[in-house]
Amino acid sequence: MLKMTHLSKVYRTEVVETYALRDFNINVKEGEFVAVTGPSGSGKTTFLTIAGLLETFTGGEYHLDGVEVSNLNDNARSKIRNEKIGFIFQAFNLIPDLNVFDNVEVPLRYRGMKAAERKQRIMDALERVGLASRAKHYPAELSGGQQQRVAIARALAGSPRLLLADEPTGNLDTQMARGVMELLEEIHREGATIVMVTHDPELAARAQRNVHIIDGQVVDLAEDPRFHHAVHAARNNAPA
Amino acid sequence: MQIKPILSALRRHKAGTFLIAMQIALTLAIVCNALFIIHQRVSHLSEPTGLDEADIFVIQNEWVGTSTPQQADAKIREDLVVLRQLAGVQDATPSNSYPLRGGGWDDGIKLKPDQQQDTTGSTVYFADDHFIDTLGLKLIAGRNFRADEIAAMDVRDTLAPPQMIVTKALADKLFPNGDAVGKTIYMVGGPGTIVGVVDVLQAQSVDRWAAEFAHRSTIIPKRLASTIGTFYIVRARPGQLDAAMKAASKALFAHNPRRIINEQDGLLSFTEVRSRAYERDRGMAILMGVICVVLLAITAAGIVGLTSFWVGQRRKQIGVRRALGATQRDILNYFMTENLLISSAGALFGVLLAVAINLWLVTRFEMNRLSLVYVLAGVVILLLLGQGAVLAPAMRASRVPPVEATRSV
Repeated sequence: MLKMTHLSKVYRTEVVETYALRDFNINVKEGEFVAVTGPSGSGKTTFLTIAGLLETFTGGEYHLDGVEVSNLNDNARSKIRNEKIGFIFQAFNLIPDLNVFDNVEVPLRYRGMKAAERKQRIMDALERVGLASRAKHYPAELSGGQQQRVAIARALAGSPRLLLADEPTGNLDTQMARGVMELLEEIHREGATIVMVTHDPELAARAQRNVHIIDGQVVDLAEDPRFHHAVHAARNNAPA
Repeated sequence: MQIKPILSALRRHKAGTFLIAMQIALTLAIVCNALFIIHQRVSHLSEPTGLDEADIFVIQNEWVGTSTPQQADAKIREDLVVLRQLAGVQDATPSNSYPLRGGGWDDGIKLKPDQQQDTTGSTVYFADDHFIDTLGLKLIAGRNFRADEIAAMDVRDTLAPPQMIVTKALADKLFPNGDAVGKTIYMVGGPGTIVGVVDVLQAQSVDRWAAEFAHRSTIIPKRLASTIGTFYIVRARPGQLDAAMKAASKALFAHNPRRIINEQDGLLSFTEVRSRAYERDRGMAILMGVICVVLLAITAAGIVGLTSFWVGQRRKQIGVRRALGATQRDILNYFMTENLLISSAGALFGVLLAVAINLWLVTRFEMNRLSLVYVLAGVVILLLLGQGAVLAPAMRASRVPPVEATRSV
């Protein structure tokens, strides 16, 4: 589903070159739930933005759903983002001027979908996240957890092949975070491919597989003993 | 189309939306009426006098030491001989005034002697048998005055010419069947017979009060023997206007220095006469044009400012839209459509306001009713202005990268 080979991302200024990702390799199979972890500044978010075609990369190859994306133009990248990827952001990124219904509708409109189909998909997605009754509410009228559920509904409404989540519980309290995480697990159980960036070992422990990044490269989790132990402990404490 | 979500978003930005829509409405209302006024003034500027203007100049001659009408008439006849003998002069004629001068002689015309109300007003030009040729008028019916019909007339005499030549506009007003020649009409002093009809001869005044009879002129076979002065209308030979003007003034003074020809406006080419006559109209048209341009510029600046502010404010939101699949064109279209909706709402109010302002002008200043063409032109101008003004900030918005969605500030 998502395969990066020897991928690099370099930020250049006049005097210095900074490698955000270096010889980066990852292969996420269809239906997997992968947690991408690592300390701050390790390159997690850069990986996510490249994976989501929000940014271009400097070298290497990236195949998304079998398509090599490095040579695609802006329109083609937009189309792939719209049709194949669902985004869940840490800060929810709902549009404050639009109500819940209209927020979920945004990606569907860009797909040129007919109104009746849009409405059906929106209501299905909102029901799935338990917020159908809040369709006319504005984001400011919802709790953080509810806003993130709306963002998940927005990501799901387009039936994407890949869900990319960037610290999806980072702005939520424990109880709300648990609810959102359970929702993601449920979505995964239904067959979705999820790549979640997080620095939270408890969340990482709930994913099928961990990919750990340090200094822009994928490393064995054991190379970060503290995080490794934390993930291990979280797995052991997880309810059966 | 994204009209519904755009309207939803605009409802959350009522103040900015309302202000810019009202600015557009006010601009439209003023621009429509200003364009209408400009058109009226410009049309006024191009009204024909009926004269062969390129070769004509006028002399305002004031007498010094002339005490009787008889003396004045004698001097006028001598001056005409002097002028007509000049090499660069084709012909010359005396008159009480000339078209576009701004003042002269008007009279009411009646069809019956006992008629209480005038049938129409008319400008009266005193003329001799050279008048038609000198001015280059086109005689379309009847005949010119004969030399023996021309008589001197004191300013204190009552206006009762035995013969008259009228313009087609006056003839049509008085005798719509087209048989004016030979008919009797009545001026203040009594009856006269129409002996000829000229095509066009504009009135002396271009002001609104004279608009009703702007081309209803009467030419009478009289030399106005005024002890104050007279006007000479002179036609130069083609291409010799400047030389003829200089020679005419010089020859008149050489013949009789006891006269005043004012340096500023005593000797004017007809081009200058036209320019002076329409100075106010031209000034008004320019003023209205400047007001339109300034208002449109302010409105455009307002749209650019507000859209730029909104683009800055929604940078993250644009990034999110891009992340969710919007192309650059989608973002551009969003802002263009948003502006079109605001401009359309403003234009709708603007049309109502334009009509209201025009109705006020109609009742207050007797202006004409605003034509729908000007309202439509104003709407099109404002909508295009809005789209033009929003283009640069909208393009800036479309260049916001999708990665903006992941930035925290």
